[in-house]
Amino acid sequence: MSTIKELYAYRQMIFSLVKKDLRGRYKGSVLGFLWTFINPLFQLIVYTIVFSKILRNDIPRYYLYLFVALIPWIFFSSSITVGAASIISQKDLVKKIYFPRMVIPISYVTSCFVNMLLCFIVIFAVIIVTGAGVNFLALLTLPVIMIVEYIFALGMAMIASAVTVYFRDLEHILGIIAMAWMYLTPVVYSKKIVPDRYLPLFNLNPMTHIIDCYRTVLYEKQIPDLTALLWAAGLGVFFLVFGAFVFNKLQKHFAEEL
Amino acid sequence: MAENDIAIEVRNVTKSFKVYLDKGAQLKERLLFRKRSRYEERKVLRGISFDVKKGEAIGLIGHNGCGKSTTLKLLTRIMYPDSGSINIKGRVSSLIELGAGFHPDMSGRENIYTNASIFGLTKKEIDARLDSIVEFSELEDFIDNPVRTYSSGMYMRLAFSVAINVDADVLLIDEILAVGDANFQTKCFNKLREIKAQGATIVIVSHALGQIEQICDRSVWIHEGLIRAEGPPKEVDLEYLDFMSRRVQEKNRDETGGAELSAESGGKRWGSGEARITSVRSYAADGSEQNAFRTGEDIRLCVEYTVKEPLEDAVIGFGVFDMNGVQCYGTNTRIDKIGGLSLGNSGKAVITLKDVKLIGGEYTIDLAIEKGEGIPVDYYRQAYRIQMLSSLGDAGIARIDHTWDIQR
Repeated sequence: MSTIKELYAYRQMIFSLVKKDLRGRYKGSVLGFLWTFINPLFQLIVYTIVFSKILRNDIPRYYLYLFVALIPWIFFSSSITVGAASIISQKDLVKKIYFPRMVIPISYVTSCFVNMLLCFIVIFAVIIVTGAGVNFLALLTLPVIMIVEYIFALGMAMIASAVTVYFRDLEHILGIIAMAWMYLTPVVYSKKIVPDRYLPLFNLNPMTHIIDCYRTVLYEKQIPDLTALLWAAGLGVFFLVFGAFVFNKLQKHFAEEL
Repeated sequence: MAENDIAIEVRNVTKSFKVYLDKGAQLKERLLFRKRSRYEERKVLRGISFDVKKGEAIGLIGHNGCGKSTTLKLLTRIMYPDSGSINIKGRVSSLIELGAGFHPDMSGRENIYTNASIFGLTKKEIDARLDSIVEFSELEDFIDNPVRTYSSGMYMRLAFSVAINVDADVLLIDEILAVGDANFQTKCFNKLREIKAQGATIVIVSHALGQIEQICDRSVWIHEGLIRAEGPPKEVDLEYLDFMSRRVQEKNRDETGGAELSAESGGKRWGSGEARITSVRSYAADGSEQNAFRTGEDIRLCVEYTVKEPLEDAVIGFGVFDMNGVQCYGTNTRIDKIGGLSLGNSGKAVITLKDVKLIGGEYTIDLAIEKGEGIPVDYYRQAYRIQMLSSLGDAGIARIDHTWDIQR
């Protein structure tokens, strides 16, 4: 409780770190902020070619089917891979001055989140231009899905960033884990083609439900399955609390380890 | 003492650091060379307890590595104690690392916002303080320029202004008053007094005992991880200085193996060589041999010499120089009208320097034996070295006795 109170007191720091990160990320590159969009677009093109032209499937408008899942996925995976190195990259601050250390993963995940929101502008542009259309009632649940994903990503980022301080290999291991995790989550394929005996395993993965919800809202234009969303929210909150607990335990020796 | 009068409560705090002999930070190394991750545990703090009352200012003193900076870091919560507890009431601002998080490409104004946010201020609070921060830093004309264009002095001024305008309840300071020029230092100092007068609690770590005496109500002397003494700064600082002078003296003796002089030793010497200075020793008024003295003490210099060929009308002299090579004083037996000395056998000259008012610092002493009208027999430059220790921050060469009488 006191942690939350303190974090609230330091909200200006979170805000200015996010601002600094967003402004500084592409500083000096020619295309600058456009990279926020170019990167996911190229991934989208590659996956679309591979999974609809080469490994054919019968999903109509596959690019949109993939796009609405890929953008949220990129938010999640960059939260944990970039988030893992966050404490180390701010070690000058951590070693020299006191502030609630959680500010760092929170601001990194938040800046990834803002990036995702910006990409959603492109998603909506595609939806409108291609005439796919939206269901406004279903859209109302979109913020809830985003918040659930944010909570889960934050919990994971806290664990990753704190453990990476003590164990630097994790940063690289997480790159592999993120890739495996993506293929074990129905991002490029449909949950329907997952063999039944693996389904319980897939259902344990909160990202399965989160990605599914995004897709239901934006692609199928339906109100998502609320029990699945609730389950994901429950897991998300669990990981956030667990992540905060682990982070608090580990942060005491940050200054000495860095 | 009422419970809520205490701003900082430190109880039995211990802290040790692991000093890895050869640390593997990667999985491969950890698995392969498990035996290599051996470390030595260095106990820096062995259980210290103290309280600081609300509105009180204390100074932590001690020699390098005694644990005073670690104590300060524990107070700021950059690190946590291994055992024991620390309780601080109120908002803490630390003047330990100034300018943390400054971004060189952003303007001074933007950096004020970033830096102040790290101290936990909200935008509204920073808005309210912005003018006084800028005014205090004296950077009105440059505040919208990128910080990378600042000189290091300007940079520090800006950083200090932010840190000191946080309006903290507890202010932690590490060797901070070396910021900027003399004017700005005075300004900082006055600001500190002002903050103290407003009821803030202050903890200072400093080697400048004079600063501590001026602002602190109490000194805490930490020695090898334990509190060795605490009390009024004047008393504790003196005790500490005494201890340090003995230490310096021991160290010097270890280094030079006494003060036996030889032709090869560091300083330059020249002369005709009928007599030679062989050793120099210095003693305090109580007869103990030492070469670190407090300003205002008596110093006795014993100069031994050997004579190869007897000398009539010899003159013995000495000169005291500070580290910049400025002669602080010099005289000889002729000037002092001791009369011509005839040196036949080896002997020693004892020079008693009364009430030496040289300010703190290191000094070198030239010694010379001359004959006739100033022909050097053995002129020995920088033959000896003494150290003056002073708890005051006064400046110049020697202290001039003075009194104040301010009439208003």
